[in-house]
Amino acid sequence: MPNAILDPTGRTAVEASEPATVRAPRRGALTGARVGLLDNTKHNAMLFLQEVGRLLVDEHGAAEVSIVETKRSFSVPVDDEIVARYRKSADVVVTGVGDCGSCSAAAVADGINFEKAGVPAAVVLTDAFTTTGHMMAQVQGAPGYEWITTEHPVAVLDEEQVRERARRLLPQIVETLTAGGAR
Amino acid sequence: MTQPTETLDPDAAQAAIEHCYDQGWSDGLPVVPATQPRVDEFLAAAGRPADEVIGHSPQVDRSVTVELAAINAVMAGCRPEYFPVVLAAWEALMRERATNGGGWQSTSGPAPLIIVNGPVRNVIGLNSVGGAFGPGFRANATISRAIGLIVRNVYGIQPHGLEQATQGLPGRWQICFGENEEESPWAPLAEELGVPGDAVTTTLLRTCEYVDNRHTPDPEQLLYDFADTIGRSGAWIFKHAMAGVVFCPEHAQLLANAGYSRADVAAFLSENAGRTTAQLARAGKDFANDFGVRFPGTAEDPDAFQRTMLPADPKRMIIAVAGARNAGISMVVRYFADWSGTAVPIRTAADAASATSASAAAAG
Repeated sequence: MPNAILDPTGRTAVEASEPATVRAPRRGALTGARVGLLDNTKHNAMLFLQEVGRLLVDEHGAAEVSIVETKRSFSVPVDDEIVARYRKSADVVVTGVGDCGSCSAAAVADGINFEKAGVPAAVVLTDAFTTTGHMMAQVQGAPGYEWITTEHPVAVLDEEQVRERARRLLPQIVETLTAGGAR
Repeated sequence: MTQPTETLDPDAAQAAIEHCYDQGWSDGLPVVPATQPRVDEFLAAAGRPADEVIGHSPQVDRSVTVELAAINAVMAGCRPEYFPVVLAAWEALMRERATNGGGWQSTSGPAPLIIVNGPVRNVIGLNSVGGAFGPGFRANATISRAIGLIVRNVYGIQPHGLEQATQGLPGRWQICFGENEEESPWAPLAEELGVPGDAVTTTLLRTCEYVDNRHTPDPEQLLYDFADTIGRSGAWIFKHAMAGVVFCPEHAQLLANAGYSRADVAAFLSENAGRTTAQLARAGKDFANDFGVRFPGTAEDPDAFQRTMLPADPKRMIIAVAGARNAGISMVVRYFADWSGTAVPIRTAADAASATSASAAAAG
């Protein structure tokens, strides 16, 4: 018998098993909801999120933007501690904007982590990072996870364009965060 | 390993290579199929536990063990005696902020720069002279390739998937050379960092850019040529952008003969590499705060000189010597982010054994 050829990955197809459903329970509407924003540090992300937060409060009856944090490392998915803080302070979370190689994948992982913890999350990525988002969803064991896609790029938009983008994505964000977005 | 050629089976080799391609284990070039006996030779050369964890990616929550590194080093085409160098290079890379911060996935597609010091260069035939940036030498080509295969296979960070390089850069997973200590006027790089002998110094590069200056015997004129390349606006994303230089022997000797130490060179370049606010304004990059990316500002004080590199710490520049002594051609090595400023000793199984017996003796 010849020697076996060794596998260099350290993974033996175990990861493909039992894709988990990751979807937190939704409320019917955002009325009275506390909104958490998680900024991934990318240029224009905070402005975009703040504008979304404002619109959710002004136009969809959300109670307030209750927690706003900036990720310490844009490339690393949120840990249990951060998720716990958001679960305590917010009823729904909006995060992004995935506009780079590692931060887009991490934003998808963030969304999955929030959903697993029972907090509905809307994750926004540009359309240049769809493949890497799907790869990360697989790595996280949630291959069917969906997020909101917007045209690339976001980083070079001026302030008015960013606000316009937030306005345009608002219906999708509301749908994602409420029962209306049930898939 | 040498056999009479008539007993070698190229068809079996081809089939095994194709199998590895089919599994998605290759970076595009043929890999050497890894077997347990071969991997055991690698493990024996390093003298470290096979299950020792030497890296973890928080992005994908996957870990590298010494054994997985050995399998990938075999596949890259390394010889067992290269493996301690691979492990030291990996350890050095793990000290870099960028390798823990999403660098492997980045749109920039950065490349490890791996510089080796010490007698090990000659033991394993690592090129440090002509054509140091490659190709043509097994140790240089396969040690750097092993790092790439570890990232690809163990972390699963592959092009078009979790790896998102917009264009990438020439030389990714290919830049590994010895410092030309024999023709360097300065102490070995790692020794200046406090690690004499066999050692690896590394960082992630955004690119390499040559400076050809066979034009002046004046050290300041020569350094201004480097300062110009380091200062170009295209490479600037944030308030500062860091770079080092791999000098050819001719340039290094010219500078040393004029009294320049490594620190002097670094100080000169950090002071003089940059652009005026007006020049940066033309590229929409004149405004920088301490946190975010540069963007178009108001171009106030147009003649103000903005320094490319952090002025405070010239020790954050890698200044190394490599290449042939046949021309004044050196390489600016532009960092993807920054550099840890450290070197990692290369330890073989023999070093591990003598360390164990020394500590036993000390204990006794």
